[in-house]
Amino acid sequence: MNVSLSGPRGDRLRSISLSVFEGERIALLGRSGAGKSTLLAIANGSLRVDKGEVRWRGASIRTMPRRNKREIGMLWQDLLLVEELSVGQNVNSGALGRHNLIWGLANLLFNVDQSACKHCLQRAGLDAGLIERGLIDAPIRQLSGGQRQRVALARLLRQQPQLILADEPIANLDPAIASELLDHLLNRAPEGPLNCGAKAIVISLHQPELVQRFDRVIGLQDGELVMDQPSEQLTAADLSRLYEAG
Amino acid sequence: MNRLKPAAPLLTLLPAMALVPVLIVTWTGLHGGGLSIWQQFLLGALHPSLEPDLLQAVWHGLGVTMATALLSWSLSLLFGVLLGSACADVVWRSWSLPTWPATGLRRGLAIPRAVHELVWGLLLLQVFGLHPYVAVAAIAIPYSALVARIWRDHLDSADHRPLDALISAGVHPVSALMTALNPGMGTVLMSYGGYRLECALRSATLLGVFGLGGLGTELQLTLQSLQFRELWTGLWVLAAVMLILEQLLRFWRERSGVGVHGQRRILLFGTLAIVLGVIGTFWLRHIVPDQFSGLSWIGMEVPSWTQLNAAATELPWLRMILETLGLTVLAAGIAIGLPPLALLLWPSPRWHRCCSMFWACMRWIPPPLMVLLLLLSNRPSLAIGALAIGLHNSGVMGRLLLEGLQQQSDLRQEALRAMGSSERISWLYGLLSPQSPSYLAYGAYRSDVILRETVVVGVIGGSGLGWQLLESLSSFHWAAVVLVLCCYCALTISGESLSDRCRSLWLQS
Repeated sequence: MNVSLSGPRGDRLRSISLSVFEGERIALLGRSGAGKSTLLAIANGSLRVDKGEVRWRGASIRTMPRRNKREIGMLWQDLLLVEELSVGQNVNSGALGRHNLIWGLANLLFNVDQSACKHCLQRAGLDAGLIERGLIDAPIRQLSGGQRQRVALARLLRQQPQLILADEPIANLDPAIASELLDHLLNRAPEGPLNCGAKAIVISLHQPELVQRFDRVIGLQDGELVMDQPSEQLTAADLSRLYEAG
Repeated sequence: MNRLKPAAPLLTLLPAMALVPVLIVTWTGLHGGGLSIWQQFLLGALHPSLEPDLLQAVWHGLGVTMATALLSWSLSLLFGVLLGSACADVVWRSWSLPTWPATGLRRGLAIPRAVHELVWGLLLLQVFGLHPYVAVAAIAIPYSALVARIWRDHLDSADHRPLDALISAGVHPVSALMTALNPGMGTVLMSYGGYRLECALRSATLLGVFGLGGLGTELQLTLQSLQFRELWTGLWVLAAVMLILEQLLRFWRERSGVGVHGQRRILLFGTLAIVLGVIGTFWLRHIVPDQFSGLSWIGMEVPSWTQLNAAATELPWLRMILETLGLTVLAAGIAIGLPPLALLLWPSPRWHRCCSMFWACMRWIPPPLMVLLLLLSNRPSLAIGALAIGLHNSGVMGRLLLEGLQQQSDLRQEALRAMGSSERISWLYGLLSPQSPSYLAYGAYRSDVILRETVVVGVIGGSGLGWQLLESLSSFHWAAVVLVLCCYCALTISGESLSDRCRSLWLQS
């Protein structure tokens, strides 16, 4: 991807050029307002750029057919769950890209593909007992912050993306839940997302102490790419430079 | 198969199933003879008549309609706020008085509210004869009760802690109420009061269609004589006035929402309402001076018990009630289900603009005129009445839905689109879903309004309680009038209670 943007909401990115390769686990670092969320939204195709292009498997993301768009999954910072729908309907909304309008309407009438839905919730770390006790039918607004985060993750898993983009997925969670959720996202074990379809993952973070769990670190400062290196080469001096006032 | 549990966005679409029986009946009832008349009607839209005499008549009719609307609106706001305050529990409690008088008044106001302005108009016409104030009173009576209900609901559901704090500090109840509750009530008065002005203009036109003067009468006469070019002159004028009024009210709402204190809003709006009411009075006197000879009492015969008993046994109650309820269900289905269905089928901004224009037209054309237009090419049936009321109310529901969608963030829709969902699905899940509970809640209220409106097409379409009411009024069969009115009130009060429950259920969900 090679992009520049000066958006109406103050979004700014200056000529960023980077590639993500299969199997990579990438941490995206930077101060608040550095452009992490903007970069992920551009990579996901929900924000258009002024200059440059985002390409997925060689094809421009703007002209890409719908079936290819579903290969890129996003875990949004504010989750963007549909509050008016149940947990199951929200999880199934991850699979809407693979189905037609009739399936979408059926999902609003009853819980379609319940077993797949439960499987994704379990893989996202939700308690099996809770799922069996009817969590699928519960309205989203009844859930705690951690549970909502996991439902969003389950929706992502239901999408079965090739590339996962996660925008500060652990920002509002307590350390124990945050660590567990990160484990679920980065897990390469047979039940982990990376071994269940996703070939690569990019996560924006505010916790530099967690970067050792990743293969590669990308740093942004005031909309500019200032760091792109393997995580084992990252030093404390690099981090303090990144988080210094721009 | 899992348990069926339709989610809110699907519930907004399901009522559109009412279109299936209605369209089947309408299709089978089509007759070819009406097609050429429809063609003439549609061509008339492009070449409205501009003859000086007609323009003068339309201008005069518009004046009567607008003056009637302004005066009745002003009166209904004044009485509505006073009555609404009098039936609010919080007002009685702030004087440390028991709240049972408020409860009694509330129940009493259900009756004037339950009767449609057209029924009031026809009743008052029989009792007082043709007079400009008959139309004004016919609108002001039910509207005052409607405003009182909304005003009271908001007063009682507002946060009472600031009021309690002021009362406990020894502040006089009137000052405490004005200080603690009025800022929030300013917004209510502005938005609901503005909406009522639009309704008053529609009602004044509707009453004209039934012979109470004004633009509605002009429209009715030109349609009956199949003078479509003349009809379109009136329709275009009405459309222009409604459009200007809608835009003015939107502009006022948007401007007043920024940094203006609630107290000032109430004062400004109240002053404006009174000034417009005074203007309406003088305007009406100026336009129809010869009719201002004072109201005359033609009177009505009070039916005896024997007459009531005889009327009760001779009327086909079950058929009339079922027809009225059937008309309500079908019309409400069309009104609630059609807008989201139309937007879902082609979720593009250009199509949404087309829908917006179509709904504006539906709002402007009064339901009885729409029935008459549909009857040009169709046999009379319940389906035609349902289609006319349903389309008219879909104009109101469609505007509400589009406004709600425009004010809402489209982040969810964008997110779903980025996940590979189709335009329709991302619109349904991302935009319609968040809007559904409030839309359904308003739909419940609208169904209640539709139940009242069935009388309007019943009168023309020869079905339900409306038709029987007109028949009984025309033949001065007062015993039947009283019984039909009682039945009608009972139905609308039950409908109101049901719609209240549905509304609170949706808003809580």
